[in-house]
Amino acid sequence: MSVLHVTSPHVHRPFTMNALMRHVVYATIPGLIVLTALFGWGTLINVIFASCVAIAAEAVVLKLRKRPILFSIKDGSAVLTAVLLALAIPPTAPWWLTIIGIIFAIVIAKQLYGGLGSNPFNPAMIGYVLLLISFPLEMTTWIPAYTTEGVTSIPTLTQSFEMIFGSVDRSIIDGITMATPLDTFKTYAGNDLAKLQSASVLQGNIAGAGWEWVNVAFLMGGIYLIARKIITWHIPVAMLAGVFLFAGIFHIIDPDTYASPIFHLLSGGTMLGAFFIATDPVTAATSNKGKLIYGALIGVLIYVIRAWGGYPDAVAFAVLLINLCAPTIEYYTQPRAYGHKKANSGIAK
Amino acid sequence: MSAADNKKIIKDGLWNNNPVLVQVLGLCPLLAVSGSVVNSLALGLATAFVITTSNIAVSLIRNYTTDTVRLPVFVMIIASFTTCIEFLMNAFTYELYLVLGIFIPLIVTNCAVLGRADAFASKNGVAASALDGLMTGLGFTAVIVTLGALREVLGQATLFDNMHLLFGDIAQGWTIHLVDDYKGFLFAILPPGAFVIMGFLLALKNIIDSKLKARAAALMEKPATGSRRVRTTGNIS
Amino acid sequence: MSRRIWDIPGGIHPAENKQQSLQTHIITAHIPAELVVPVQQHIGAPGKPCVEVGDKVLKGQMIAEANGFVSLPTHAPTSGEIIAIESRPVQHPSQIDGLCIIIKADNLDQWIDHNAINEYQSKERSDIINTIRQAGISGMGGAGFPSTIKLGIRPDTKIEQLILNSAECEPYITADDSLIQERADEVVAGLKIMQWLVKPQETLIGIEDNKPNAIAALKQATADSDIEVVVVPTKYPSGGEKQIIYLLTGKEVASGGLPSDVGVICQNTGTAYAVNRAIHFGEPLISRITTVTGDAIKNKGNYEVLLGTPVDALLSQAGAKFDQTSRLIMGGPMMGFSIHNSAVPIVKVTNCLLAPTEKEIPEPDAEQPCIRCGNCTQVCPAGLLPQQLYWFSKSNELEKAKHFNLADCIECGACSFVCPSNIPLVQYFRFGKGQIRKQEAETAKADQARERFEFRQARLEKEDREKEEKRKARAEAAAKKQAAKKAAAAENPATSESGPTIPTGSESTADASAVTKLKATWSSTTKRWKDAEKALKVAEKNGNEHIDALKKKVEQLKVKADKAKSLYDEAKVADAANISNVNGPTATKQTNKQAATQPTNDPMQKLKQASTDDFNAWKAAQQKTQDAEANSSDGADIESLRKTEAEAKEKSAASKAAMKEARAKEKEAMQAKKSAEDPAKQLKLDAAITRTKAKKALKALDSLTEDHASYDALKTAYEKAQTAAESAELALKAAEEA
Repeated sequence: MSVLHVTSPHVHRPFTMNALMRHVVYATIPGLIVLTALFGWGTLINVIFASCVAIAAEAVVLKLRKRPILFSIKDGSAVLTAVLLALAIPPTAPWWLTIIGIIFAIVIAKQLYGGLGSNPFNPAMIGYVLLLISFPLEMTTWIPAYTTEGVTSIPTLTQSFEMIFGSVDRSIIDGITMATPLDTFKTYAGNDLAKLQSASVLQGNIAGAGWEWVNVAFLMGGIYLIARKIITWHIPVAMLAGVFLFAGIFHIIDPDTYASPIFHLLSGGTMLGAFFIATDPVTAATSNKGKLIYGALIGVLIYVIRAWGGYPDAVAFAVLLINLCAPTIEYYTQPRAYGHKKANSGIAK
Repeated sequence: MSAADNKKIIKDGLWNNNPVLVQVLGLCPLLAVSGSVVNSLALGLATAFVITTSNIAVSLIRNYTTDTVRLPVFVMIIASFTTCIEFLMNAFTYELYLVLGIFIPLIVTNCAVLGRADAFASKNGVAASALDGLMTGLGFTAVIVTLGALREVLGQATLFDNMHLLFGDIAQGWTIHLVDDYKGFLFAILPPGAFVIMGFLLALKNIIDSKLKARAAALMEKPATGSRRVRTTGNIS
Repeated sequence: MSRRIWDIPGGIHPAENKQQSLQTHIITAHIPAELVVPVQQHIGAPGKPCVEVGDKVLKGQMIAEANGFVSLPTHAPTSGEIIAIESRPVQHPSQIDGLCIIIKADNLDQWIDHNAINEYQSKERSDIINTIRQAGISGMGGAGFPSTIKLGIRPDTKIEQLILNSAECEPYITADDSLIQERADEVVAGLKIMQWLVKPQETLIGIEDNKPNAIAALKQATADSDIEVVVVPTKYPSGGEKQIIYLLTGKEVASGGLPSDVGVICQNTGTAYAVNRAIHFGEPLISRITTVTGDAIKNKGNYEVLLGTPVDALLSQAGAKFDQTSRLIMGGPMMGFSIHNSAVPIVKVTNCLLAPTEKEIPEPDAEQPCIRCGNCTQVCPAGLLPQQLYWFSKSNELEKAKHFNLADCIECGACSFVCPSNIPLVQYFRFGKGQIRKQEAETAKADQARERFEFRQARLEKEDREKEEKRKARAEAAAKKQAAKKAAAAENPATSESGPTIPTGSESTADASAVTKLKATWSSTTKRWKDAEKALKVAEKNGNEHIDALKKKVEQLKVKADKAKSLYDEAKVADAANISNVNGPTATKQTNKQAATQPTNDPMQKLKQASTDDFNAWKAAQQKTQDAEANSSDGADIESLRKTEAEAKEKSAASKAAMKEARAKEKEAMQAKKSAEDPAKQLKLDAAITRTKAKKALKALDSLTEDHASYDALKTAYEKAQTAAESAELALKAAEEA
């Protein structure tokens, strides 16, 4: 009789890391659909292209690091990183932008730190920030959403392909692109009220043309994640509450200069950040109390950078900066253990 | 001082004890001005000049300074030579002087300079100190120029751009354009890019070293087998 | 029911799999041909066998008696013959064997005389407790803590709640469930005895809501009593002692404390049943209900099985398909141990035997990196952060692990169960806990050693002080004498003879010190030999692999000790002759002094004394010379005085060297004590020490002229040190090869 000697527990919940990653990717589908519907096929192409690049990059680095290649790729983390990055960049982003971003995210931000589980920063956001600061023009111009006033069509599949892989003159693309609502608001708020009110991109129902639907779609995906118990509610709720509270306070003080809290919640990458980026477990705090603090800090920082910083959107910067705080937050938010009067905090003496 | 010593000093300064790749000193100017080859070369040579001259001066006075005041004295010496090079650059390469700006006077605070003065020049003779200073300076220059070249290529796809700032009109046509219609990779020009590229240079050095070590170990292996430690017991009466 | 249920944090809901084993009534297991009864089936000291091989025993006869307070007796599960008392494989996490009494059953199953206690309420409490203890009853759920230690709390301890833990939260296990369903009255009767013993304010039975039949049976059985049946929601691990206490009372047992600290006593269902059998029937604990289940078992069910029944005998009866089992688990799937040998016996804590098929419980997948998803934190019932503890345990950061309360982990396995990366967290935590225990034991040992050392240091200092005072007193007396003599000499310079007397005295001191030194060498060598012998014995007992090296060392040391003794004897004889040659009162005084210092019996001390004396002699001689020079007596005298001084100085130096050597030796002797723990390391140290010693001895030797009294002694010492160095190196080599 063969007797296997293993230690307890002998049973495991049949829920693997691969399944976890897969469900997160599933949860992005509503957002992906809306983005495709509003901005053309670009995002979908980017997602597929980025995933392939990510798998290739991961395989190469794993080979160089002499690690089992298939075993690590199967966990699905590289694909998830690629999907999140592709969702964050504009649908018109040329192919080399995606390659640079993905390689930087996978090779430098993830594998050089030790691979999955050892990276202090969110790889997708590192890639995004790299692109944002290196190629600000390509990264901040979006084609107007289908629902924007005066826009009658979105790029077809061929057009999208040409924009990404073709050698079309960028100026043609630049001709049809338009600043995002957040960008427009940042440009005109407080100094040119007339333009602010007449900007077509801001003529959406709540938060600029089209963008509210993107955010609502990501919100739905996030709710799916919470329902599947893949993430807990703490980080998204704390983060959205942070944005809402700060935006609310300043909007009450000066509604002309500061946008409404609803606008902030439903524009830019707020929902994507709240449910998919900030909740990346590797780089976030893990105790429930820690998650609340972590999320709230991100929320506040997003608002601060949006309102007074140099960039129109701030999810990536805020997440990266608070990533840095996560270990410390962890030390000071230990839960109270059974049989102890109060929780330990700080580091061991 | 023997030839073997000299060889060791040269090897240490350029490779084994390279101020940047091994001691990781003087990173502030290194990362700040290594955006292009010309900037890097200018700062590297300036630093090499200061290290060499200050090493000579420190070595000359090493027997007359007491331990307690040596650091202020060394800093004074370094500051003097830095001022010299600053004036020189102001006079002959004015545009470069403007580009490098504060980082020329900041050579004073470069730990690599003070480190050599304290660790080597204050303990060794003039000739050895001069050689050490020169080699350390060249080691620094080599790394900073490599870094500058990499950043220039990645950042704007050129090499030896603006070299005329340093070498005069002769160098007007030295610029090499590698890619036409390059978008510019701002990250490489910014300090974070310098950090990342610097990290890769460090890694490269370690890879080379470990390869060399492995080869040396492979060579050493054969004769090592025969030798065994022999212990003799004394016979006293 | 209006009782509040406190919800425990975390917890999981694994597939219950309990129905499979509840299809039949309790089945009585066959008496196996051979029973293997371990003498340790509980936490604490193993019992002491009180039967001989060949004895006939009756069912229920005590075959091993309790050996200490935290220990329990063991009884023969059936009648038969003792055929062996030997080490056999038993269920142990480290797969080590345990002492077992093997009984060949005669199939008569003949009971020994046993008497029930009627009306236990009229008996003394201590009598009842003793009866339970003699019945060998231990906790029958988890670790197997002797039950009477819980029940036998001091009568003034106020117990608020007595809890019967019937939660049985582990999947698959239904032993308590079936026991309650079929024998609820007996369980309740046992609980009532315990109730009478500890006099709690309230008595509660905690049971999970997935056992409706058992709940009904308990409610019926407790209808006419003040015992309350509390139904708790099904959630793993609500059956943990700390968890059920919190569920039912909201009280938390302090970390490192006992339930009785918060006024709670918690007992297992099986224990209550066993107590009832012991009191009302007079039967010791010789059988238990064990769930035999898993897809590889044909006749799944609960078996009433004799303790000591080998697992394979029980599995055969249950129709196990051995070729289908992927592993054999003793206990539940969450906390049970997979067993390495199917010959291991059923013991008091064996509540389940699980023989799953590969399909049912597949092999664990490969471990992936932790992504800090925090699922483990969400399910931890102890409120810990397993993902942090994992890092700390893995990287051996024990201080941090302690700070994050690793000690409070109950090893329930909930974290591993939910881990998407298949990390065997519990295994890491067990390792971490083991490391912390080891570290703490080492710290305690080091503390002890330090205390001993400091105490010794203080003692030596005190002795030194006392010696110093004595010496001062003597010096003063001598000075006075000297002054008097000087006065006399001044009166009559021609008869001044005081010079030579001092060197004589000094020489004899040196001689005496050499002898003393030799004696010290002898005693220290003997001591080392004895220590080494002791170490060898220990090593032999533990089956240490360096026995050969140790043996060799012991022999060498014995030779050395003998040599040292003969040297000492020789020297003593020579010394005696020497002393008799030296005339005058000084020599006598020296001998006296020697005699006076003898009782301290500390060779070091003697050497120190000798060294101090030599030093003093030198100083005195120096003083003398200076005095003489100052007084400008005749040239020849000064010359001789100077020579004397030089000699005395040399001697002083020599004795100092001797002392140093002796000190090194002493250190070495201390090192030798450790040899049993780490022979190779010790040998290395030994070799190093002896080498140094040899060098030192050589140095000391070089500084001496040949005709000096301690030259020979030092030379011997040097040669010895050399030999020791060689032998130590040999031993080291041998050990390294081993």
